[in-house]
Amino acid sequence: MSSLALLLQDLSSIEDPRLVEWDWISENFWEDIVPAIQGHIYLSFVSVAIALAISLPTGVLVSRYRKAYPPVTFVTGLLYSIPSLALFGILISIPGITIGPTPVIIALVAYSLLILIRNTVAGLDAVPAETIDAARGMGLTSSQILFKVELPLALPVIVAGIRIATVTIIGIATIGAYIAGGGLGKMIFDGINRGFPTMIITGAVLATALAIVADLLLLALERYLRPWARRRRT
Amino acid sequence: MSGILDVLRRPDFFELLRQHVLLSVAALLIGIAIALPVALVVRNTALGAALAVNVGNIGRAVPSLAILALCQPFLGFGFDTALVALTALAIPPILINASTGLREVSTDVIDAARGMGHSGGQVLTLIQLPIAAPVVFAGIRTSAVQVVASATLATFIGGGGLGELIVEGTQLNDTSILLAGSFSVAVLAIITEVGFGALEKVFTPKGLKIAQKRGR
Amino acid sequence: MIEFRGVSKTYQGSDSPVVNDLSFEIPEGEICVLVGPSGCGKTTTMRMVNRLIEPTEGEILIGGEANTAMSGTQLRRRIGYAIQQIGLFPHRTIAENIATVPSLLGWEKQRTAERVDELLELVGLSSDDYRDRYPAELSGGQQQRVGVARAMAADPPIMLMDEPFGAVDPITRERLQDEFLGIQQNIKKTIVFVTHDIDEAIKMGDKIAILKQGGFLAQYDTPENILSNPDSEFVASFVGNDRILKRLSLLRVGDMDLDPVNGGAEGLPRINERLTVRDALSELIGSGSTTGVVEKDGKKRLLTMEAIEELSRAGNASRE
Repeated sequence: MSSLALLLQDLSSIEDPRLVEWDWISENFWEDIVPAIQGHIYLSFVSVAIALAISLPTGVLVSRYRKAYPPVTFVTGLLYSIPSLALFGILISIPGITIGPTPVIIALVAYSLLILIRNTVAGLDAVPAETIDAARGMGLTSSQILFKVELPLALPVIVAGIRIATVTIIGIATIGAYIAGGGLGKMIFDGINRGFPTMIITGAVLATALAIVADLLLLALERYLRPWARRRRT
Repeated sequence: MSGILDVLRRPDFFELLRQHVLLSVAALLIGIAIALPVALVVRNTALGAALAVNVGNIGRAVPSLAILALCQPFLGFGFDTALVALTALAIPPILINASTGLREVSTDVIDAARGMGHSGGQVLTLIQLPIAAPVVFAGIRTSAVQVVASATLATFIGGGGLGELIVEGTQLNDTSILLAGSFSVAVLAIITEVGFGALEKVFTPKGLKIAQKRGR
Repeated sequence: MIEFRGVSKTYQGSDSPVVNDLSFEIPEGEICVLVGPSGCGKTTTMRMVNRLIEPTEGEILIGGEANTAMSGTQLRRRIGYAIQQIGLFPHRTIAENIATVPSLLGWEKQRTAERVDELLELVGLSSDDYRDRYPAELSGGQQQRVGVARAMAADPPIMLMDEPFGAVDPITRERLQDEFLGIQQNIKKTIVFVTHDIDEAIKMGDKIAILKQGGFLAQYDTPENILSNPDSEFVASFVGNDRILKRLSLLRVGDMDLDPVNGGAEGLPRINERLTVRDALSELIGSGSTTGVVEKDGKKRLLTMEAIEELSRAGNASRE
């Protein structure tokens, strides 16, 4: 294939000063790069927070009233299936929603609902019935059981869901730059449009690093919350 | 609404759809061709499998736009570049699922299989692969959906596909074109999800379905 | 039939062997039980017979020929293999599971199908009901029976069984043991049977090999001899402080040489001739009498505690 030859040819040009201009990076670091990182973190954080605020109560409700689970899964699953650029397109067609961070946050929240609700339900399901029974026997009220027993025990699975949702959100937030959502995606798009590889590579590498760091941090949190899984099964 | 249908009737719509599907199918197939052999090779070593899963997990965390964009300065614009990027995106879910699926086949079952006189190859083909098939296929399904979705972005590096309609609609501020692109991509993704879901059931041996139902 | 010659196994990186210089012979058609505490190498020893593990020293001969004469895979198709966790293939039906070795050997479908039905009946499962089911639908006891049937499918002359009745409750286990002994009466296979339970070893074994930690052979003999004449402190304590009583459970009252009744037998407790001597002793003690009456072949005979005592002191108790 022609691209294999191209690939080999271009790999040898990594030393090419045109690809990564470190001067540009140091010049624009505080003006452009840092704000982009900040904007990206802000976008992701807000989306995860809103998504959690919606999905945790929903998850608890759905785990109690199981009949609601299939329709909820269906709707959130449908939302999850829609590719991000398409969902952005649909959202900005709605009168009243203009391009900017708003539709991006709406979309990011919509994407993470499925995994967060599913993991909340799974985490609550995994709490042994005997434990809840013992708690009730000791005289705890329903809401005390929920907050002091069930949710803490369900926490590892919930955090696993948060981890997947966060990484997904960081990734899709890059695409949100296309509809003026800000963040590191803007550097990528600008770089492509201007034919300026440094911007592309900076934006892409930083976005990747952000996603991987978030993944590893949340993985560590997940492992910390689940000491019994730290010992590997032989 | 009629505006959207007009867009769908455009002659280039079918071409864009064709590119999108071609890109997705090719990336998926090549991804399977790379990920499955690796998973097979590492199936018997705990270290190798853990390595494969970790690489896969890191791969899954990488934003899809980032991979597509990173290929551009090195490989230029075009279909081939998009294919390389999408293949890289297709590999992680398959690698993770195939590695863990094969490792999770019960060691007692494998011991019984060996002890009864299956050769190494027979243990793999007659026992391990059929039992791991549902998990492997779930990975392929995840990968397929992700590839179809990410192929929407191929337009940004000149790869064609239905994403071009979305870009066109945004730039011309034309809602019909925008929605035509968005809906067609969404429908394609949903068809992929549902289709592979059905295929997954086909690939699950009956005995395993029963075991799943009984929680064994 | 199966001969161990100076067999040892040491794993790489380890100083001490897990199996240490084993030499003994298992006669054809007998069940040899390998028994001992954990870490004694009994399972390792068994798995060296079909070369799932290869010895570091010594050799194993089957029918006079080294078991290395053919490939491991070929060898294993001629040796039945049943393990504690059973390991039924979940993606295959019961019939397909049992047919595993026959199909590896290339048997015709018709012959295989008949054999599957035959074996299901043999292990007490209705063929019509079970052949098309899947392992996940069966209880533990049923799965264990299928495991045994699967091991016997190709009618191998030798079978290796590693705690094959281990994964079920004691009542089912006893039933499975009795049924298997019944089957063995007719088929007389050469069997290497591993267990950690000395009572199971005594019940199942024609010969018992007691292994010590570190893989040493402590004693290899018939159950009676091990119980009457334990070679060492270790064997005596492993066998249990009640070994004399255990010996008495090897014999049935009906097989004893008993004196006929000389009148005056009314009021004496009746002892069923099918009871083991041990159980008969227990009944006598419970009845408060030192003598009981046994009816055998229509004749009444006397069973005295004295006779039982003599028996327990004798060196040779004949097997039931």
